[in-house]
Amino acid sequence: MTVDVQGEVSICSEGDIVAARRSVREAVTELGFGLTDVTRIVTAASELARNVYKYGGGGVMRWRRLDNGGRRGIELEFSDHGPGIADVQLAMQQGYSSGKGLGLGLPAARRLMDELEIHTAPGAGTTVTSRKWCPP
Amino acid sequence: MSDRSSISIIIVRKTLMVTVPSDPDDATVSALQEEVLAAMQRVDAKGVVLDISSVETLDSFFARTVAETASMVSLMGGRTVVVGMRPSVAVTATQIGITLGGIETALSVERALDLLDRPAAGRRARR
Repeated sequence: MTVDVQGEVSICSEGDIVAARRSVREAVTELGFGLTDVTRIVTAASELARNVYKYGGGGVMRWRRLDNGGRRGIELEFSDHGPGIADVQLAMQQGYSSGKGLGLGLPAARRLMDELEIHTAPGAGTTVTSRKWCPP
Repeated sequence: MSDRSSISIIIVRKTLMVTVPSDPDDATVSALQEEVLAAMQRVDAKGVVLDISSVETLDSFFARTVAETASMVSLMGGRTVVVGMRPSVAVTATQIGITLGGIETALSVERALDLLDRPAAGRRARR
């Protein structure tokens, strides 16, 4: 059996948020993450996929396996062509939200993943890249 | 695609027993709220037991909807007990600041029903 090392899910409807979660769950379970880490990563993916759908007007999630000198991990990249985030610092604060929600999405994903980077500018869309490493 | 049909509400002794599917989409989560409130009125229920034991991912949208539903049920005069949160879900929820503050919880449906048979605990009694 061949194992996928990367994948892509387009996020254009509410149902695609579920598809993104399922795809990530399968990938990270396969990678050997424990149940709690799987739950953390899938929850982060759910938050970021919803941001793409609700605020970014749709986009895509790409995942790929990482191998850094024998240490395995997962990278999740969420891209949209939406309005972008004017104030990233503000968006990372818990409780802030420009739309409906608890304002938990980005800060939650940052807490659940090991690394998280945001590339955005007003009018230029948003790309959030996050990584989680398997414990040694 | 909606999993709407997979929400199950059964009524036992004027209590709504609600089972949440393992990976519901947002529409299903929203429908759950509407159906619980409608059933509250229809059967004159005293409370809701919300079984989330098969839920694998409790994100902020889902948690907010559960918290909102519980406060709506409370406004209608009922109590909500959230049952069966998985350990991995509890760890993750706590890490991102989801507390479900003020909502009664129980480890099993049996304990939840016992809880609903007793008068509401401290928080309300002190008011």
